[in-house]
Amino acid sequence: MVHHVMGVEGYYPTLIALWLLPLAGAIVNWTFGPQLRRTAGPLASAVMLASFIGTVMLWGVATQHQSSGGVDLVGAHQTLMSWIPGFDFGLLLDPLALLWTLIITGVGLLIHVYSIGYMDGDNAFARFFAYMNFFVFAMLTLVLSDNFVGLLVGWGLVGLASYFLIGFWFFKPSAVAAARKAFVINVAGDVGIMFAIFAIFASVHSLSFADAFAYAGSYSTTWLFIICLCLFIGAAAKSAQIPLHTWLPDAMEGPTPVSALIHAATMVTAGVYLVARCAPLWSQNQDAQVLVGTIGGLTALLGAILGCAQWDIKRILAYSTMSQIGYMIMGVGVGAYEGGVAHFFTHAFFKAQLFLASGIIIHALHDEQDVRRMGGLLKKLPFAFVAIATGVLAISGIPGFSGFFSKDQVIYGALAHGYPWLYALGILTAGITAYYMCRLLFVTFLGSYRGQIDPSNLGIRHPEFAGTPHPASAGGHPSTSSGQAHLAHLDEEHNANAEWFMIVPVAILIPFTVLIGWIMFGGENSPWARFFAEQFPHPALLATSISEGMTGLITFVVVLAGIGVAYLRYATASAQSNAVARLRNESIRMPGILSNAFYFDAALDLLFVRSSELLGRFFGRYLDPHVLDGAVRETAISAQWLGTLTRSFQTGLVRAYAFILVFGAACFVAYYAIVAGGIH
Amino acid sequence: MNAMTVPLANYIALSAVIFFIGVAGVIVRRNPLIMLMSIELMFNAANLLFAAFARAWLQNAGHIFVFLVITVAAAEAAIGLAIVVTVFRTAKTVDVDDVAFLKG
Repeated sequence: MVHHVMGVEGYYPTLIALWLLPLAGAIVNWTFGPQLRRTAGPLASAVMLASFIGTVMLWGVATQHQSSGGVDLVGAHQTLMSWIPGFDFGLLLDPLALLWTLIITGVGLLIHVYSIGYMDGDNAFARFFAYMNFFVFAMLTLVLSDNFVGLLVGWGLVGLASYFLIGFWFFKPSAVAAARKAFVINVAGDVGIMFAIFAIFASVHSLSFADAFAYAGSYSTTWLFIICLCLFIGAAAKSAQIPLHTWLPDAMEGPTPVSALIHAATMVTAGVYLVARCAPLWSQNQDAQVLVGTIGGLTALLGAILGCAQWDIKRILAYSTMSQIGYMIMGVGVGAYEGGVAHFFTHAFFKAQLFLASGIIIHALHDEQDVRRMGGLLKKLPFAFVAIATGVLAISGIPGFSGFFSKDQVIYGALAHGYPWLYALGILTAGITAYYMCRLLFVTFLGSYRGQIDPSNLGIRHPEFAGTPHPASAGGHPSTSSGQAHLAHLDEEHNANAEWFMIVPVAILIPFTVLIGWIMFGGENSPWARFFAEQFPHPALLATSISEGMTGLITFVVVLAGIGVAYLRYATASAQSNAVARLRNESIRMPGILSNAFYFDAALDLLFVRSSELLGRFFGRYLDPHVLDGAVRETAISAQWLGTLTRSFQTGLVRAYAFILVFGAACFVAYYAIVAGGIH
Repeated sequence: MNAMTVPLANYIALSAVIFFIGVAGVIVRRNPLIMLMSIELMFNAANLLFAAFARAWLQNAGHIFVFLVITVAAAEAAIGLAIVVTVFRTAKTVDVDDVAFLKG
């Protein structure tokens, strides 16, 4: 069998270095954390900076393009080792991997710097940065691997890093539960990918992307669909697509920089990467495209609807992340790979910015996360307002802002690839997105500060669960509690520069959030399209009755409608003056189906958790004590019974033994004399 | 070759009688010395048969077996008496029914 290659083979020490540096940083921070103390953060950030510079230096080789012997080679390939003869492990840096690596190291660098300020005063400062560096290493393994096994290794390791970081404050039972939930659901996804690998290996006897894609046309349709389905189970678990999305909102238990880096910008988009990487498989199978596109579109809509019903600022952003990843998955699912990946690219900037800015608010309000207890922050935190406002404009898709260009590519891509219902879904979702993001903006920043108002007047029924992140504060006033031992430090040994560490990374992100979309402007001649010209399959597009410009206009009108509704409900003068009563009414009248997130948790609980419990209880009550233990016990009892029986022959009396001997001999004689008919 | 003056059946009958006297002795008597003597009787019943058959069928292997059995019987008697002495030292009795250390 001919082994295929992707990328120009060569020796790229920079590539190996940028991949392994974060691992080294993690090991150093892990090992020497107590000695490093406050320098852990700058050290981890320096590692990220080096990694980012390395990535930028490799831009040229990553985008190189060679045609040799009728084979197109895009990007750089470095063989590292051959773990079984014929199965090479290597790094592949092509435009797709380069894009992800740039975001992982670049946005990752900014979030590391931000964390120096945000985590200032935390007892486990070094441990946090060890985890963060470890995550970056794992994520780089995922995107740089040239084969499915390496991808799965990275895939599992990012899940582990996510588990570490969601449960970073392990003294909070809710954080531990969220970490466990995320890990379990992600492992379910890992198993999906593992089965996909089995299926691929069974058909091509190779694990490299190049071989799997080169023979993509030779799989049977059903077999290819099974492979795509298994891969997508992994992608859906990692990227929070329905019905495996329930872990993402809970994952907000982790520190806010973690939410920004892992649960918004990078790790949760691994599913998008996987589908985009396996574009040669997907583009061969219509069913897989329909499946992934539909799930993506539904997730986008569902996440947006649920975003309207949340009060926790981080959970609103979590549902918006889920919704935006839905867009990306829809884009790569229907075959608009550039569009889906473009939305990943812009989303990484504006969502990281939104999360980091919300972190500034949370930090300033001493761990208050409930937007009902905010309000009037415009004057207090003008910088956070600017950051969140530009983020909201970008995510809503206001023309000119980055989100507009990428979202438009996805929505129009759905139409151009022949999925009009996903097109309509995308436009509808854009309107809802604009509504709930503006709701977040208006409720948080307009009106007057509501932090001093009794929570029950705001319709907060259980202050300990509503928005306060730490159960330790359950008894007291949620926002002023100092029950959190680790955060109490914050005020005592406050780093004077902590705020700047938080402000500067956000300030760097703002211009990207606003402007980066313009690289996608200009259709096929845009820098974006040329960057990916050799990367993805380009099937002929359908002639559409609605042009791309017209789509942008329709979307814009729907978005304006969404903003208008949010304005009427939360930003008019009367809404601002009656904010307390209105928020209270909205909280109390929230339909159960929304406040329970469409009962997905309950359904999964019933389907998997309860049924496993039932099975476990059956085993515990019947199978284990009666069948397994019973078998052991019965063996022991029968051995004992046999012993008692044979023991009775051992009288210890010599004459009795003699009698038995004689009796035995007599039996022999009798046998030969009577039964065998005499001795011959 | 001399004609046999005593028929072979008589030897066999005598041997059987001696053997069962020995068996009865081992089972019925409780004195180990008597029991050893009874075992000796059983050996000699077998020896008698060997010698009788050897003579009847003119095969000398039987005689050789007799000598072998006598040797084994001598060794057996020596070991048996040694056991009796040891048991007496331990249990202060030689009644075999009173010595039941190995009762299970």
